[in-house]
Amino acid sequence: MNLTSKKILLIDLEKLTYEVKSYTELQRYVGGVGLGLKLMDMFGEKDPLIISIGPLNGFFPYASKTSIVVNDGGVIEDFYIGGTMAARMRFTGIDSIVLNNTAESETILEILNSDVSFKRGETSSGSLGLPGRRSILSLDESKALLDSYFTTPEYFLENKFAKKNIKTISLTGTEVVSPLLMEKYQNLYHTLLARKHELSVNESSQPSCVNCPMGCERSKTGELGGNVLIHSLVACQYAEKIYSDVGIIFSCLNILGYDYTHEDIENLPGLIEETLKKLS
Amino acid sequence: MILKVTFPNKCIGCELCVLEAQRQLQKVGFEGSLIRVLRGRGDKGIGFSVELDPRINKLDIKKLQTICPTGVFTISEEDSDEFNQ
Repeated sequence: MNLTSKKILLIDLEKLTYEVKSYTELQRYVGGVGLGLKLMDMFGEKDPLIISIGPLNGFFPYASKTSIVVNDGGVIEDFYIGGTMAARMRFTGIDSIVLNNTAESETILEILNSDVSFKRGETSSGSLGLPGRRSILSLDESKALLDSYFTTPEYFLENKFAKKNIKTISLTGTEVVSPLLMEKYQNLYHTLLARKHELSVNESSQPSCVNCPMGCERSKTGELGGNVLIHSLVACQYAEKIYSDVGIIFSCLNILGYDYTHEDIENLPGLIEETLKKLS
Repeated sequence: MILKVTFPNKCIGCELCVLEAQRQLQKVGFEGSLIRVLRGRGDKGIGFSVELDPRINKLDIKKLQTICPTGVFTISEEDSDEFNQ
């Protein structure tokens, strides 16, 4: 688990190569959209598709989304997908995946922790990754579907998959973490889980995001834009009441061992705005 | 007392049970979990099946039952084979 730097998986689709780099200087971007926009600033000329999680994903209830940042015809778009992806990515040990350039032919990426296998388009998605620990994001006719169900708004992801010749991304995380303050972590986890009545969606019986008991009807379609703090963590927008409380954010971060300060969190929206200005 | 997957069709794939089982073993993650939620094709495009390792019954199974938001699990009074050996 990276407490002082961001671990980035850089994939070059043209050369079919990859490397993992740790960046201490990216720590202040926290995660999700903050991290994604900064990586867009760093790798923009390679037309990256950037998939990021935040420090709470995999650990706390309702921190269940994955951030995606792309340049769609000159406009930087940030959008979010629910389901299993954030939780699986947490246990790969990777904070962001940056998919640079374009593959020559239709390509499937099988990511297992920090390793990537490049496969041809005809590979069956059922043979990818490890059952119970994988997410499969695949271009299925007109939409990109995560685990055959969850999608993203509009067609930004589909356009980018098509342009880059990506058919499927399989993501498996097998790392296991033991927070130092395990008892406090467990207490906070259950305290937050018990606050589900504060979410702005109704409980239902639809397929749910991992670490969320709601089974709501909204999670299927993902999210677009919104509160940059929520989207840097990367929590569900319907849990905004919980995760816009800086006290709760600090409790979560401190229990996991992060050393973010109030100033870091307070300065984040300004930092994101500054990055966006550079990008435009 | 043993934990049973009585209503698998109610599973919504939230994996709260998987993560609770791991926390009881003082860890967070999916590797080595005594509960596994598997995904396949279903009525809603996605369907779930829940697999239990018999060693799950050494954990606090009441807590595992109650964390499920849709009531997939029941607790049976019968002893598991593992404990009869």
